[in-house]
Amino acid sequence: MTARRLSVLSALAFGLISTSALAQAPIKFDYWYGLTGQLGDVMAEHCKRFNASQSKFEAVCAGQGGYDKAEQNTIAAFRAKQHPTIVQIYDAGTVNFLLSGAIKPATELVKEFNMKVDWKDYFEGVSNYYATSKGEMWSFPYNSSTALLYFNKDHFAKIGKTEGPKTVEEWFADIRKIKAGGHAACGFGFDFDTWMPLEQFSAIHNLPIASRNNGYDGLDAELVFNKTKFADYMKDWKKLLDEGVASIQTSQTGKTILQAFTDGSCSTVLSSVANHGVVASTIKPGTNWGVVMLPVYEGTQRHNSLVGGASLWVMAGKSKDEYAGAAAFLDFIASAPEVKWMPNATGYIPITKTAFNQMTAEGFYKDPKYAGREIAMQSLTFTPPNEITRGIRLGNFTSIRAEVRSELEAAFTGKKDVQTALNDAVARGNQILRRFEQTFKGKTLP
Amino acid sequence: MGKRVTFGNTFIGIALIVPQLLLVFTFFYWPTGEALYWAFTLEPPFGGGNQWVGWQNFETVFSDPKYYNSVKVSLIFAVGTTTMSISFALLLALFVDRQLPGYRVYRFAYFWPYALAAPAVGLAFRFIFAPQAGFVSAINTYFPGAWNPATNGNDAMLLIMLANAWKMVGYNFIFLLAGLQSMPRALLEAAALDGAGALRRIRDFQLPLLAPTLFFVLVINLTESFVDSFGIVEIVTNGGPANATDLMVFKIYTDGFVGKDYSLAAAQSIILMLLVVALTVVQFRFIERRVQYT
Amino acid sequence: MIERTPILNFVTHAILLSGLVILLLPIFIVLIATTHDLPTVNTVPMPLWPGSHMLENWSAAWTKGDFARALVNSLVVAVGVTVGKITIAALSAFSIVYFRYPGRTVLFWLIFITLMLPLEVRIVPTYAVAADALRPIKALFSLGNIDIGLPEWNLLNSYTGLILPLIATATGTFLYRQFFLTVPEELCESAKMDGAGPLRFFWDILIPLSATNMAALAVIMFVYAWNQFLWPLLVVNKPHMMTATVQLDRIVPGPLFGQPPIWNEAMAATLIVMIPPLIVVIMLQRWFIRGLIQSDK
Repeated sequence: MTARRLSVLSALAFGLISTSALAQAPIKFDYWYGLTGQLGDVMAEHCKRFNASQSKFEAVCAGQGGYDKAEQNTIAAFRAKQHPTIVQIYDAGTVNFLLSGAIKPATELVKEFNMKVDWKDYFEGVSNYYATSKGEMWSFPYNSSTALLYFNKDHFAKIGKTEGPKTVEEWFADIRKIKAGGHAACGFGFDFDTWMPLEQFSAIHNLPIASRNNGYDGLDAELVFNKTKFADYMKDWKKLLDEGVASIQTSQTGKTILQAFTDGSCSTVLSSVANHGVVASTIKPGTNWGVVMLPVYEGTQRHNSLVGGASLWVMAGKSKDEYAGAAAFLDFIASAPEVKWMPNATGYIPITKTAFNQMTAEGFYKDPKYAGREIAMQSLTFTPPNEITRGIRLGNFTSIRAEVRSELEAAFTGKKDVQTALNDAVARGNQILRRFEQTFKGKTLP
Repeated sequence: MGKRVTFGNTFIGIALIVPQLLLVFTFFYWPTGEALYWAFTLEPPFGGGNQWVGWQNFETVFSDPKYYNSVKVSLIFAVGTTTMSISFALLLALFVDRQLPGYRVYRFAYFWPYALAAPAVGLAFRFIFAPQAGFVSAINTYFPGAWNPATNGNDAMLLIMLANAWKMVGYNFIFLLAGLQSMPRALLEAAALDGAGALRRIRDFQLPLLAPTLFFVLVINLTESFVDSFGIVEIVTNGGPANATDLMVFKIYTDGFVGKDYSLAAAQSIILMLLVVALTVVQFRFIERRVQYT
Repeated sequence: MIERTPILNFVTHAILLSGLVILLLPIFIVLIATTHDLPTVNTVPMPLWPGSHMLENWSAAWTKGDFARALVNSLVVAVGVTVGKITIAALSAFSIVYFRYPGRTVLFWLIFITLMLPLEVRIVPTYAVAADALRPIKALFSLGNIDIGLPEWNLLNSYTGLILPLIATATGTFLYRQFFLTVPEELCESAKMDGAGPLRFFWDILIPLSATNMAALAVIMFVYAWNQFLWPLLVVNKPHMMTATVQLDRIVPGPLFGQPPIWNEAMAATLIVMIPPLIVVIMLQRWFIRGLIQSDK
């Protein structure tokens, strides 16, 4: 009792003396991020950099243990009105947030707080993915990547090649030769992730995944990928698998595609540029390796690849002060030095043209540690994005990915033939889309 | 159930149970009720206006062949893993109960696996049983393709059953041993003096006296293998390959938590709950009847 | 021992020893993994003899996970859940077994059913309750159009919020019920003849008798609370309140990002997180023995 009374008294006294000091206490706002592990540390570090750069605001940052959990936790928190001001949401969660009614569009925040953000400075491939169909930005691009083909130069040298493959045909011929010559245990290692084979492949071949411009034009879109060249691509993969040239590499088999590449057992893998740094630091010392753009089938006009990663969303229902803090934070991370800091700390790409040009001029891409990452920029900007290559906007895309994944598993483990599996994936995916459409009846995509 | 001899003071009796009831009402029935209401609506992830759709979610669930697959694999998993872990734990408990020198070490060490968090168990098993990297991969050098949980559904199922059984052995062991050790020693000694061998004593005295505890671990194991297997599945197989280990609770989690379809998940939760309740009622009716309590 | 049976003793030792090997081998491999550097851990197959990097891996894991703070939080939560559950479950099981009032079977099933729907499945609405724990009660009263003016009781980012929902399950009640049912009727009869009321009988006779079971339940509950992951992850978002398992997850990155996990450090963290439950087991061992001696009397 006495202790409490004392503390009340001292609090009062403190309050009388130091009103001015209190007024200077930083305004706090919550920021939740999804990345974990080393990348999660980078997120926390970015927060600290902001807090150290000024004294008016304090970002209270909390990792949520994964992209999916960050989304789920934010939804649960929003329902209980305990949500953060800013949250990092991965590409596949974009539609949920666009339709949620729970967010404050980025453009609104920019206008209210006179933010310095220059939307035109973002690479089009990046900004288009997070823009509405009318081209308005609703979230702030953040950690971004795209897919590349990683190849083992030592293996390729043994078949007399110094360059990575440019076409699918060339790539398959190369790895068949490598395997036939016994230069590697596996020519190509893959897992069942859909991002590389389905989403990126379709974009660079200018193929739709779904009708209605990949869903941008309405929630009534239907999946079509079982009828495109993607189906042939998967049949070719199956052939490589049956020939023993390709092999399945998942954490369940004991080695992920990255581990299989870095220990020299697989000559090629498809992976995100975000892993460029990981490969550089974990590959068997002395190995020569490189990256090229994802191969296209011969006779195809190459298009830009898609951006992956996450963007930052500002949530609705916060105070003016918290929004001011959010605006300051988002301005901070969009400034050129911070955009440049990210690729240094991770494998992510610089998302603004200014930062990319500065980095090129400063010789970032000449540094052997980072050389090759500029190829990701070439891939992302190969053509201006069109209605199909700007992105994918399908409801509950996480579940659709999971369906495709499990059907690919069935196809590649020999339970179904490839075409049947893809037909089934499309049929089940369409059911998911129809449920989503019904759930959001009367709503339209902004 | 219940005693012949009881206390008459109803007021005290009810007062004693009120704290537990308040807790389960607040943290179980209220939220569960809310979730179950979603089963008859279409609930948007962020809330804000759901539509009543009657039985539509259940129709969707029951017209999905993958749902029946998940019920099937859940049953196989539950029966398999429960049998493995209870029988192994019972064997160990009976032998530890003989109290030969060194039994304290065993009694302590057998519990270790349960102290590991499920994700850690999953990681360890994935590591050890991986066809390309693990220690079991040696089998494949002699019989190529004999063991591959990454592509063979049966292997994958066996793997998660083993991992779960391994983890639950410690749990079952501790309760079975507690049950065995709280038995009157005098009774067993008398039986031994009468010339009953060890096996006889197990059959005629220890197992019957252990029946309530065995019944407890049976119910808990079956229930937990339905509702609490999530951590291991997620890490070891992630439901694959091709849904071969897509247990019901894992499917609910992926449809609801990952897929944000709360309504579909809620409908599946109702079915899961009814199934487990039915299973439990069967156990209480048909098995508990054979259990002698005093 | 009861009699001399050399062959049976040999079989006993053989079985117990092979059980030990089967159960501890995975943990041994995990331990070995913490003694190597990353390239060695990643070689196939990993060597089975210890390396020389144990100290640096363990200290890296300790710092990265901020375990000094996290272990304390986990300890508070686990002890809270254990004590709370043992107490509340004993009371409710006593009420169900030793009293005869209408509806007690229904009440037992009401409690028992909570075993059948895991937290993972109802996590979103449970979170909403934790944001205001008095909401269900308010809602009940508002059905009758009564506003009893209860305040908002926010449990997020608090030990209470971590503990209470974990107590609201039935394992303990069920276990006590099973045990109370095996207690001889004569005990209660003679207690009543001695004029002991229900609470006295409960405290003086039932509780001491339940020591072994209580110890077993305590161990299980401690481990259960200690290993909770999804709930603390959701309810707590202030770094100083994070529990050990949440920190463990931060060290092992999820599969989404393609980074190979740093196995040696991750496994060291796994073992750090595993040690406190083991200490609890060691401490409660005594109770097992005491329970044994008492029933021998």
